[in-house]
Amino acid sequence: MNQALQFPALQALYPEILLVVGAMALLMLGVFRGDRSTGAVNGFAVLLLVAAGILVCLQDGTASAFHGSFVSDPFARFLKVVALIGSAVTIVLATEFLSAPHRQRYEFAILIMLATAGMMVLISATDLIALYLGLELMSLSLYVIAALDRDSLRSTEAGLKYFVLGALSSGMLLYGSSLVYGFTGTVEFAGIAKAAQNGGLGLTFGLVFLFAGLCFKVSAVPFHMWTPDVYEGAPTPVTAFFASAPKVAAMSVFVRASMTAFPGIAEQWQQIIVFVSIASMVLGGFAGIGQTNIKRLMAYSSIGNMGYALIGLAAGSPDGVQSVLIYVSLYVAMTLGMFACIIAMRRADGPVEKIADLAGLARTKPAMAFFLAMLLFSLAGVPPLAGFFGKFYVFLAAMKAGLYTLAILGVLASVVAAYYYLAIVKIMYFDEPATPFEPMRGELKTVLAVSGLFVLLFFVYPAPLVEAAAAAAKSLF
Amino acid sequence: MRIALIVLIPFIGAVIPPLAIRAGRNVCTAATAAVTGLALLLLLTDVPAVFSGRVPGLRVDWLPQAGLSFSFFIDGLGLFFAGLILVIGLLIIIYARFYLGRTDSMGRFFCYLLLFQGSMVGIVLSDNILLLVVFWELTSLSSFLLIGYWHHLPASRAGARMALIVTGAGGLALLGGMLLLGHIAGTFELSELLTRGEVVKSSPLYLPTLILILLGAFTKSAQFPFHVWLPHAMAAPTPVSAYLHSATMVKAGVFLLARLWPVLSGTPEWFLIVSATGLVTMVVAAWIALFKDDLKALLAFSTVSHLGLMTMLLGFGTPFGVIAAVFHVLNHATFKAALFMSAGIVDHEAGTRDIRRLGGLRRLMPVTSSLAIVTAASMAGVPLFNGFLSKEMMLEEAAHTVYAGQAWLFPIFATAGALLSAAYSARLVWCVFLGPKRQDYPRHPHDPPLGMWLPVAVLASAVVVIGLMPAIVAGALVERTASAAVGGALPQFHLAIWHGLTPALFMSGFALTGGLALLWAYSSLERLRLALPRPDGMTLFQGSVAGLVRSSRFVLGSLADGGLPRDLAVIVLTTAGLALAGYVQAGPGPLAGTRAALPATIPAVTGWLVLLLACGLIVRHHYDRLAALIIISVIGLVVSLAFLQFSAPDLALTQISVEIVTTILLLLALNLLPRTTPDESSTAGKLGAGALATTVGVGVAALAYAVMTRGTETISDYHIEQSKPAGGGTNVVNVILVDFRGFDTFGEIIVLSIAALTIFALLDSALHGAARRRIRTLRFLPRAGDPHPLLLTVVTRVLLPLSLVVGIYVLLRGHNMPGGGFIAGLIVAIALLMQYMASGYVWAHRRARMDAHAMIGGGVMLAGAAGLASLAFGRPFLTSTFGYFHVPLFGEIELASAMAFDIGVFFTVVGTCILSLATLSRVEERAEQASKQTQVKTGTGAP
Repeated sequence: MNQALQFPALQALYPEILLVVGAMALLMLGVFRGDRSTGAVNGFAVLLLVAAGILVCLQDGTASAFHGSFVSDPFARFLKVVALIGSAVTIVLATEFLSAPHRQRYEFAILIMLATAGMMVLISATDLIALYLGLELMSLSLYVIAALDRDSLRSTEAGLKYFVLGALSSGMLLYGSSLVYGFTGTVEFAGIAKAAQNGGLGLTFGLVFLFAGLCFKVSAVPFHMWTPDVYEGAPTPVTAFFASAPKVAAMSVFVRASMTAFPGIAEQWQQIIVFVSIASMVLGGFAGIGQTNIKRLMAYSSIGNMGYALIGLAAGSPDGVQSVLIYVSLYVAMTLGMFACIIAMRRADGPVEKIADLAGLARTKPAMAFFLAMLLFSLAGVPPLAGFFGKFYVFLAAMKAGLYTLAILGVLASVVAAYYYLAIVKIMYFDEPATPFEPMRGELKTVLAVSGLFVLLFFVYPAPLVEAAAAAAKSLF
Repeated sequence: MRIALIVLIPFIGAVIPPLAIRAGRNVCTAATAAVTGLALLLLLTDVPAVFSGRVPGLRVDWLPQAGLSFSFFIDGLGLFFAGLILVIGLLIIIYARFYLGRTDSMGRFFCYLLLFQGSMVGIVLSDNILLLVVFWELTSLSSFLLIGYWHHLPASRAGARMALIVTGAGGLALLGGMLLLGHIAGTFELSELLTRGEVVKSSPLYLPTLILILLGAFTKSAQFPFHVWLPHAMAAPTPVSAYLHSATMVKAGVFLLARLWPVLSGTPEWFLIVSATGLVTMVVAAWIALFKDDLKALLAFSTVSHLGLMTMLLGFGTPFGVIAAVFHVLNHATFKAALFMSAGIVDHEAGTRDIRRLGGLRRLMPVTSSLAIVTAASMAGVPLFNGFLSKEMMLEEAAHTVYAGQAWLFPIFATAGALLSAAYSARLVWCVFLGPKRQDYPRHPHDPPLGMWLPVAVLASAVVVIGLMPAIVAGALVERTASAAVGGALPQFHLAIWHGLTPALFMSGFALTGGLALLWAYSSLERLRLALPRPDGMTLFQGSVAGLVRSSRFVLGSLADGGLPRDLAVIVLTTAGLALAGYVQAGPGPLAGTRAALPATIPAVTGWLVLLLACGLIVRHHYDRLAALIIISVIGLVVSLAFLQFSAPDLALTQISVEIVTTILLLLALNLLPRTTPDESSTAGKLGAGALATTVGVGVAALAYAVMTRGTETISDYHIEQSKPAGGGTNVVNVILVDFRGFDTFGEIIVLSIAALTIFALLDSALHGAARRRIRTLRFLPRAGDPHPLLLTVVTRVLLPLSLVVGIYVLLRGHNMPGGGFIAGLIVAIALLMQYMASGYVWAHRRARMDAHAMIGGGVMLAGAAGLASLAFGRPFLTSTFGYFHVPLFGEIELASAMAFDIGVFFTVVGTCILSLATLSRVEERAEQASKQTQVKTGTGAP
């Protein structure tokens, strides 16, 4: 056979290729069939995401492609599955939103697929170029999705704001990358690690800018300003997406870059991570208190939660990475359930977003109130619900790494944050009922029930997730 | 396995009551009681083992790597508390059967009660401290369900929130404390951890650990200042108050203090914090209790006060303190649960709990009254009842306690607490049961059915029996419990009524008589209380929450005002700050590197000055968009001159061409936009922005300087060497573009084409619909008399063929000399665009026969085909080859396959520019026509 015609070894990329090709095929379908095809596109998109997930699960061992700039290892597969679940569920959650006649946009699912493909590249990236490619594919899709409801002033403003700030952060990331490249002479994480053993001033600067860009993507304080605005302004299913899968991807690249590219100068980046982690936890907890809009509240909640996940990263150990993985997967599970509830908050005259609208839910919709309460307790970190295990593992990792102050501050911040989660429970269970919501749609019920039961019963058999996370973490060391 | 069953049975059994309720209320009660009874029975089978000194245990791994396991053990302390929980639980179940009304859903109530019971038993039997925290929070959750059981009561709302938040938050603090504790001790198993007290106490992390754990214990046990939640949780049904808020849940904190006593106590910190908190709680709560008119509120504050007493005893850090505390836990559980149930009976039968509306019930409810009076006497500390014994032991301990060098402090305040306790007990008895009979009870009070007073009677008899024969009845139990709590041998002690004429006896006597005297002076005391400041817990809680909300909003508001400038400033400042911190921390080395600077020639300095000037002018004039554009193009030109200076003619050519194209594009676009940007920022804002920009600019400049003065190996040498032999060209830039990095270029031209198509798609839609209507309303400035000056028209037309030739020349020579497809494309595009500008869109468009779309597509396809061709020769995609051909007339010429690729690039660039810019000018043309039409219609236009 002609040597030039030999196809590069791309087995490691089959899931990504499937997603991208599938997205383009669906785009054609949408273009030629118009908005009537929205339902079909959504359905196929979910199927493709599931299929990609299966492909990811079928992979084994560690395989790389493109001269080692893309790797499929247990770490990547773990997070890809979480991200794919997040994306697929988001499309399911959006069914109702997209079914309104004037909102039939087949682009939604396609953009989500492309964003997901970007995330998967990001998760697997082992050099700065692949990192940037994945990041931009994800971010560009997200900018558009944020402004999806283009007739809404808030949505477009949110999208624009996100774009401008995102562009700035991407710029910083690039600047940092080029500094790192300039001082180490390579863009590969492994090469950087080898060249960066002794540190150096230029590397420090590169690290700062690189991390600033990454902090923006995980919406860590003080790079978080876009979060509340985008969460509030974007349509709720879009917010659900923002809160789940992209967070996983951004956190994963943060972890991989820190652990594999800069292990030699861990002390330096640990300081940055500790700083943003504390700032995020404190602000996330503190700022949530004053909120009246549940989507804004979720924004601050996500900021705080990213702060906790960063504790695990700050630990810089296999335990720490494992705790980050556990934390983000549990967080995604809880968030999706939360948003199923928020999307179900609609009255005859349209959706509502005020926390006060949940008043007396326990009497008008006991099942929904129960599951929502469990999710809130879980977000607050109350044992034995799933959220507790997330916090437990990050605190444990921090202590093992000797980061006592961080762990203690984390505990105190979680106490503050518990206030607003529990305040919602109180509103649902004790206040006079407000006008009841419209009946919950089947798919929302399913998502809520699955997420609620997961959170409730996780403690019975946590080993599979915990062990998978441990195996995934091991592949970075 | 048996031990785990004790904990699991209530959880598993919790499903029974909701099912059993279908068979009737009695069956439901019996089933619930059977569940509790079974657990109790299993517990009792362990009694012999525990009393013979063994510690039965069980461990099942849960998450072994994280130190979390399902492990339980029963020692004296666990046995004591578990027994207390289950026995009182049994009594409460019977009581609740009669207390709950017909409309109350009993199945649900018992289900929650069993869940709660299981969690409580879990706390006291857990061997693993993390498992303990899990059960700890489960009690919070299930108690929340129980409190929420009667959710139609508005009063319970605020109370429930406070209870939930205070105890929930405390639980999280406890989790942190336990994690620290386990980390210090190296184990999470209590049975091992309890032997490592010295390690823990000598650790530098001892204090934070202690504080976090105490936060958990104090919030649960309602210690000052967290006592505020307990009285407000009293809106719950009485069986709940009796079980949770007096006998069990609030004792969890005390249990924890006792459980961890060997590990944490005995240090000055422990003594100072715990004993003082207990003392303050005891006195303050007793003072408040004295003035409460709601029977349950009075009992609630009394409970807080007694919990303070136990906390104080444990805080002393002496074995005798532990013995007294354990004994008081037992005594308090008996008399207080009985009192709560009596209060419930009174409420149930008389229809009110307000003691101002009660009185004289002694005659109407003789049984209830006698039981209540006996238990209240115990609470007051009257001899012969069990409350007296433990209170006396407390006073004895307090009398010997020196706090912060003050020997008088504890004895006096402890006596005051006892005195107040006697006073409110007497007030309760007097106002409710004694005194004259009234005519205006809301209902007709009479004794309740047997099932309701029997549990009270059981507890009351325990009060008397223990009070009379303490050593026989409770001696062994207290001994076993206290020794388990202390974790070693106890000193000799004897539970007895008479200890001789000790200081405690005098203090006790003084407290009792003083208490009665206080009641006598109640009205003047009440005036005193009204004159004192009375901080209400709920108001304080709500006030602090409101304050927190306000400060939260303030902080958020100052961090972000919803506008982009502030957000950008925060991001930029933080990054700059982090970079500076990194610089300072790394030990500020010299900024300049070792690389020698280039000589400062006059052209270089001039260029630098022009750049500076242009930047300054931009800042000054950026509101005027046209001026800003012109200044920007100056900067671009200077940059291209700089490329020339550093011998990069290719880059310079590209830069100039790009500069011209973009300037033309922007000029066309500006025509559709307002001339100036509105000035919206204040002077202060501008100054701030200026300062920020200067800071960041200086930082970036410093960084750039540092980078440029450091010598680095570049890869350009390699490319220059390989350009001719491997790529067949001497123009290394072009060879890189079309050969070495051909794939990149191929990608780039595709991106370029997509961009052109996007511009076309976006602007095309501007010709229709809403955008078109908006364009119509644009006001155009008066134009020059001749929009297409003759001179310009002629010159551009004459130049067109020349430009095309130049373009082709540049394209062909590109491989070896400065030039190439990209630059050539731009040159040709500029020539064509000039036709549009000079002669107008309509004129140019009519004569332009080329199809921009086809040009773009053809260009990309040509480039692709050139790349694919190499596959036919067995080389990878886009491999370039070259050869020399002798053409007659022309002589030797070199042809590289990369040339075809370059031509593809050329066509794509031309097509892109034509398509995007022509589309733009078309929009403008339409807008112009539209405005002309409007002017004609309205008749305002100039002729």
